[in-house]
Amino acid sequence: MTSTQMTDPAETRRFYSLSDLRLVGRQIYYEQLSFWLNPIGAIFTIGFSVVFLILLGASAGSSRVKILGNIKLIQYYVPGFVAYGVMSACFVSLAIVLVNRREEGLLKRLRLSPLPTWVLLGAIFLSTLLVAFIQVIVLLAVGKFAFSVQLPDNIGAFVIALVVGGLSFTALGAAISTVIPNPDAAGPVINVVFFVLLFLGGLWFPIKDGSGLAQFSSFFPIRHFIKAVFAPFNPGASPWAWHDLLVVAIWGVAAAVFAVWRFKWAPYRNK
Amino acid sequence: MRQNAGPAVSVKNLRKSYGSLAAVADVSFEVEPGEVFALLGPNGAGKTTTIEILEGFRSRDAGVVEVLGVDPDNRRTQRWLRSQMGIVLQELAVEPFLSVRQVLTRSAGFYPHPRPVNEVLDMVGLREKADARVKTLSGGQQRRLDVGLGIIGQPELLFLDEPTTGLDPSARRATWDLIRQLGGEGTTVLLTSHYMDEVEALAGRVVVLASGQIVASGTPDSIGGRDTGVATIRFRLPDGVSAADLPVAGQPAQGGEIEIRTEDEIAVLHTLTGWALDRHVSLPGLTVRRVTLEDVYLQLTRDPDEPSRARQEQLR
Repeated sequence: MTSTQMTDPAETRRFYSLSDLRLVGRQIYYEQLSFWLNPIGAIFTIGFSVVFLILLGASAGSSRVKILGNIKLIQYYVPGFVAYGVMSACFVSLAIVLVNRREEGLLKRLRLSPLPTWVLLGAIFLSTLLVAFIQVIVLLAVGKFAFSVQLPDNIGAFVIALVVGGLSFTALGAAISTVIPNPDAAGPVINVVFFVLLFLGGLWFPIKDGSGLAQFSSFFPIRHFIKAVFAPFNPGASPWAWHDLLVVAIWGVAAAVFAVWRFKWAPYRNK
Repeated sequence: MRQNAGPAVSVKNLRKSYGSLAAVADVSFEVEPGEVFALLGPNGAGKTTTIEILEGFRSRDAGVVEVLGVDPDNRRTQRWLRSQMGIVLQELAVEPFLSVRQVLTRSAGFYPHPRPVNEVLDMVGLREKADARVKTLSGGQQRRLDVGLGIIGQPELLFLDEPTTGLDPSARRATWDLIRQLGGEGTTVLLTSHYMDEVEALAGRVVVLASGQIVASGTPDSIGGRDTGVATIRFRLPDGVSAADLPVAGQPAQGGEIEIRTEDEIAVLHTLTGWALDRHVSLPGLTVRRVTLEDVYLQLTRDPDEPSRARQEQLR
């Protein structure tokens, strides 16, 4: 140990307060490094929604949808898959990653480091949002250049919908990770819940408002999020889907409260 | 070095229960700065709970705990405390796709005055593996990386939970040398291990926990009355000599050896070796052995009703 070592708590605190934001940046860098150094995982995570969109767009994209004012189906699919991409990154992938890391002890290892909780979790969440953002860009590019989809005039409404959805589904991913005790269950449980709600939410087949199915799926955030992202893409309606955004946000806040209450750093296998 | 005088770790009347089960029931001990201190005990004895309380990972029910002069539960000093602690735990993974160097570099950034990454790579013998991905490392190499992550922050206090489990004998010796080196530099080390030779080689003091309580404490040589108890003298009978010819009474033991158990080994050895010199015979394989630390440990932690298994099941 050298004599220059910082030993005074106040002095060490000063060192940290200056560089906390840089620490978040560093953590995000290593999160991304870890993500991209596993290229198969990265390509599947990002590519799944893109491949899905291309297949659906090529097979059914040019048919017209009566219940949505006779627009082309692809004009609905692009925002639908943008919503899907955000949900799969922030909800499905994040939840599985959190369960795996908790059970492998990675979260506990980080918790025992001097980093504050908000740096640790903030970096994981922001890194997830970055992956979601990359997916959104790729999907928009595919929509625009492969299918000539008309992108929203009101960028603000689109971005707000993505931000509200991204944050809410991040909270939902964190919340559901706390109730899944082991990594073997994480993938199947989360994916089944997700795909059932996606189907009921009308990702593949637009569902008419007011129908029994629509009323049922209105209790869950997925349909509302798809509608909120679709609104700015819908030439015949207001780009702001306030009601849908509000429901998504309520789910997000509730999930955040639940996640904070239940969050566990140590593996369940220990006790 | 830390400025405040006093013990590196001080635990007084510590208690922690899970439901109705007392995992730690009234434990007190102190660890001096620069000391290598071993905490022993079977699974479920309360070792992990005690260590997690010291690390500030778990809160206690009762008792006074100070680590490097501060309460590990105090949120205001918790971050400073963690910057002064190194922690090597069992079964904690490392990001599999990052390289050894990347993982160490990232962790170095958590601390105000980290050790240089290359120095750590040399200290734990992973220089050639610096650019290998973590998932390609063998079990022993991962264990050494764990130790590297524990010492990268130049900790004042290092927790080592079974640091050499899974290491081959030479890597084990290298890790012992490293721990001695750190101790020589003034790092306080709190060690748990299942290897009694490791505890004997490294620890200045030992505390044995069983069922959440301290059942013995002392130096590894004296704990459980090791230094004053019965000694065992063993040798093979020389050619042409029968057991009846011996100047002291011995019992035949396994391997055709003679065994003499005595509390007065100096007198017995004097008689025996004097007799052998006079007769011009040798005493092949002559050894004098006291109870091993392992014998003492097993004796101390044995329970006639075997409640430790039941406790473990309850803890699960």
